[in-house]
Amino acid sequence: MDIFTSLNISASALKAQRVRLDTISSNMANAETTRTPEGGPYRRKMVVFEPAQVSFADHLSAKEKKAVSGVQVSQILTENSEPRLIFDPSHPDANAQGYVALPNIDLLKETTDMMLATRAYEANITTIKSAKRMALKALEIGK
Amino acid sequence: MKDISIDTHLKSMMPKLSFEQQKPQSGFADMLTQAIDQTNTAQLNANSAVTDLVTGKADNLHEVMLSMEEADVSMRMLVQIRNKVVDAYKEIIQMQV
Repeated sequence: MDIFTSLNISASALKAQRVRLDTISSNMANAETTRTPEGGPYRRKMVVFEPAQVSFADHLSAKEKKAVSGVQVSQILTENSEPRLIFDPSHPDANAQGYVALPNIDLLKETTDMMLATRAYEANITTIKSAKRMALKALEIGK
Repeated sequence: MKDISIDTHLKSMMPKLSFEQQKPQSGFADMLTQAIDQTNTAQLNANSAVTDLVTGKADNLHEVMLSMEEADVSMRMLVQIRNKVVDAYKEIIQMQV
């Protein structure tokens, strides 16, 4: 049934928005993390989206002939922004001048990003509902 | 009887072509079988997806919901096909001989 192409595309978008929300919650949770295994403070992460790769099975079944494609997370980038320095000599991670390097994470920006991710998720859910409604209406032709 | 020429005689001697024997099944029966298979597969997938969700193995809630929707739509289509088959049968049964 061809309705499931539309559903699968929206499902890939839902998964991508979930990954985005995971990244945002990781950023928010680590907003005060001063030490990481790689050394230095936590660096802000962001997701990069790209059109979904057509799998080999889809190549065989000629699904690639359609111009539509879903979305996938190509990579989770680590931003290279400068950490902000706070003067606190009593902190265990303070450097020689008494400055602590804290991650450069703006909670307001993360909150806005979270709202965008939520709205995108809801928009895709609406698409799924519309596709389902179309399919059910088509079944009413026979009634 | 000049219409029995040599080539009609030869054609009658040729073995019956195989495609004549494989008459396609009645269209409705075929569709019904396909719909039943598809619905069965969809229901089994939905079942295993829900089991995965409950035992904690599923990553995504929306995948479970989508497989349940697929099973639902398949089932409705099966019901429609069944209605059509039954209607066709009733029509044929009511034909006066």
